[in-house]
Amino acid sequence: MMKRIVNSLGRELRMLRQHPRYLILLTVGILFSYVFFLTFMHEGLPENLPIAMVDHDGSYLSRRLCHELNATQGVAVVAVYDTHREAREAMQRQEIFAFVEIPAGTYSAMLDFKAPHLALYSNNAYLLSGTLSYKTLSTIGKLASAAVQREVLRKKGMSETQIMGMLQPVEIDAHLISNPWGSYLPYVLTTMLPGIIGVMALLFTIYMITNELKHNTYQVWLETANGDMLSALLGKLLPYTFWFTLLGIVGNIVMFGGCHFVCRGSFLAMSVTLLLFILAMQAMGVFLSGLIPNQHLAVSVGGIYGMLSFSMAGFSYPVDSMPPALQALSYIFPLRHHYLAYAKIALFGGTFTDYWPHLCLLLLFLVPGLMGGLLLARKSVANSCQTSL
Amino acid sequence: MSKLIQTISSGLKDIFEVFTLELHRIFTDGGVMLIFFVATLLYPLIFGAIYKHELVRNLPVAVVDDSRSASSRRFIHKLDATPEVNVDFRCNTLEEAETLMHQRKINGIFYFPKEYNDLIVNGEQARLCLFCDMSSFLYYRSVFTGASSVMLDEMRHIQLGRYAMAGTTGANAEEMIAAIPYDDVKLFSPAGGFTSFLVPALLALVIHQTLFLGICILSGTIREEGQTVNVIPERLRNRSVYRVVLGRSLAYIMIYIPLIAIDLVLLPRVFGLPHIGRLGDLCLFLLPFMLATVAFSMTVGMFIRERDTVVLTCIFFSVVLLFLSGVVWPRSNMPAFWRYFSYLFPSTHGIQGFVRINSMGAQLRQVQFEYLMLWIQAGGYFLLSCLFYRLFFLHERLKQEGWTFELNGKRLSLPLQKNSMDLDIQ
Repeated sequence: MMKRIVNSLGRELRMLRQHPRYLILLTVGILFSYVFFLTFMHEGLPENLPIAMVDHDGSYLSRRLCHELNATQGVAVVAVYDTHREAREAMQRQEIFAFVEIPAGTYSAMLDFKAPHLALYSNNAYLLSGTLSYKTLSTIGKLASAAVQREVLRKKGMSETQIMGMLQPVEIDAHLISNPWGSYLPYVLTTMLPGIIGVMALLFTIYMITNELKHNTYQVWLETANGDMLSALLGKLLPYTFWFTLLGIVGNIVMFGGCHFVCRGSFLAMSVTLLLFILAMQAMGVFLSGLIPNQHLAVSVGGIYGMLSFSMAGFSYPVDSMPPALQALSYIFPLRHHYLAYAKIALFGGTFTDYWPHLCLLLLFLVPGLMGGLLLARKSVANSCQTSL
Repeated sequence: MSKLIQTISSGLKDIFEVFTLELHRIFTDGGVMLIFFVATLLYPLIFGAIYKHELVRNLPVAVVDDSRSASSRRFIHKLDATPEVNVDFRCNTLEEAETLMHQRKINGIFYFPKEYNDLIVNGEQARLCLFCDMSSFLYYRSVFTGASSVMLDEMRHIQLGRYAMAGTTGANAEEMIAAIPYDDVKLFSPAGGFTSFLVPALLALVIHQTLFLGICILSGTIREEGQTVNVIPERLRNRSVYRVVLGRSLAYIMIYIPLIAIDLVLLPRVFGLPHIGRLGDLCLFLLPFMLATVAFSMTVGMFIRERDTVVLTCIFFSVVLLFLSGVVWPRSNMPAFWRYFSYLFPSTHGIQGFVRINSMGAQLRQVQFEYLMLWIQAGGYFLLSCLFYRLFFLHERLKQEGWTFELNGKRLSLPLQKNSMDLDIQ
């Protein structure tokens, strides 16, 4: 067995030396995506989102609000418009994500305690920017009311503790587990970047196997492993398992070490998860290429399946909120299990007793891999029958 | 005059010939058919199903109530009543709740300390702790929204009581609590749903990516089969390359007009996604988007040597393009380099413009920049692809003439080049 694997491995490495182009292309692609995503969203949370004011009042109050808004980290007032229509159109040109409308006579109404109304408009078609700028605007809106209240209460002779009790009787002390900054990066990158590596491993596996069929080198490949499909597959695919896992581990070192994403559990466990994930993706690749012998079709189907795994992993939109049929379907995507294991290990610092089911499910993907191997082996018999005829 | 007419008629005839040839190649290629027809129709349906529920509702949370008082119970009742959160577990200790969190049975923990009620009764500031599951942005958003809406309501309730103690009641107290009240208007997607935000962008991306992959695969096939020249009818080789590029483009355009109509016009209406744009503006905008995408893909396709390389190396780019489009991450906060880099791709402007017209009801003049950029891209990439075709033919012809030239020396024989892979292996 060992000797057969080594034979197949040797042949694969020789071929790789002659045609290293694809592996280099894929590696460059993976490096590009790491560099891209880490530099693209380096802020973590978007800051100084452009917003505007529609000022019908032109008073001390509106200028003060403008200053207060500019002093926050979240938004920056980039324009002051005269009419609502102008602001709405600026929003449709995506120059601003939100605006505050201050009606005429607001300041004098406030001094008379007539509760003048402000209006906050935010753009929910851009969910992240809309939500974040609205959050800052509503905070400032609450603070404005509180500032008026505080002045009145001070004049009534209340102490500062009493005033705080009046202004905010209940406070929520929020603890964001393992992402205290509320940064957007760990949500997205910790699953998406390994996902990209996994999809590439899947497609590369399909490509390499169907290549043998396409170039009629299938028999030669099998013969190096004495006709044993399993050894032939292991020898062929293990070098890439190693390479993609290595890239993924380096990526994890960059994310959890360099970028200080929180990893409360063991890094070794993360690496093992990654290895099993790559293996699972490769197994799915073997399965698909066993099922669909036509290279073009197999690669296309692999592409469709691979791209879906980003949605079905549930890191952007939770799987529990999908229709039940799709919840069940999510099990056939290895990225889903990788994501669940990641959350347990890195975010909650879980131990082996917590995350073993996910690792087992990842291992289960080897079954379709073996089935694919069987299909491929049967094909070799059919092939040899044809040639002998 | 008659010469001009002859040129035009021969040009049209050539274009038609290339056009039919390309259609034939599309409809006889399983991989391309899969991408053009199955992927464009399947992806939107799957996305529609995945993101059907728009919002994350009724997230299970646990409560640890050390205060055991009327005020903490009132808070918990209100929390359970919010659409975002369900109080499914009441634990005695924080450790118990933490275990539930580790088992992923809950997405948040609310902890009321012992002194919670005392502080409220004493007129001081009371604090409660919230522990949030941060494994997904939407978990955090829902738990946090639920918690803060209850907090605001509870604050108002307590403040009214405290003002009453201080001798201010009724409308006066209300005006004190909210001295400058505000109304919030969430434009274009009042519920703030995830589907209304992401799916329109994904639909436009699906059109861009399928068109790109399909065209690149077809271009790669020509190269792979070593028939760059053969695919073009003999008599066309020395004529204008515009006819070849136009003929091929027309085939894709003809196939994609109905597909775009289904994906970008019909499906938002069927799925109940936002569709407040004017149909005329939408169609006017989608025209350059389609043309730019075709021209862009033809240009890139010239560099594809083997068809499956495209799927292999470009598929991860879909994710990159989605982020570059500025729908997920705001354009104002992109590093300048990546922002200018994004201008190279029709998808950036296409997604931006489509989302704004379709979901935000923008008119054509509000997407002026994108509209202009798409026309520039359509023209620029068209010229570029013609130029590359010209260079390519030149290169091929030189190679062929070189081959006939060295007929005696067998080094450059065609089969050796074509199937070098086999020879290497054997």
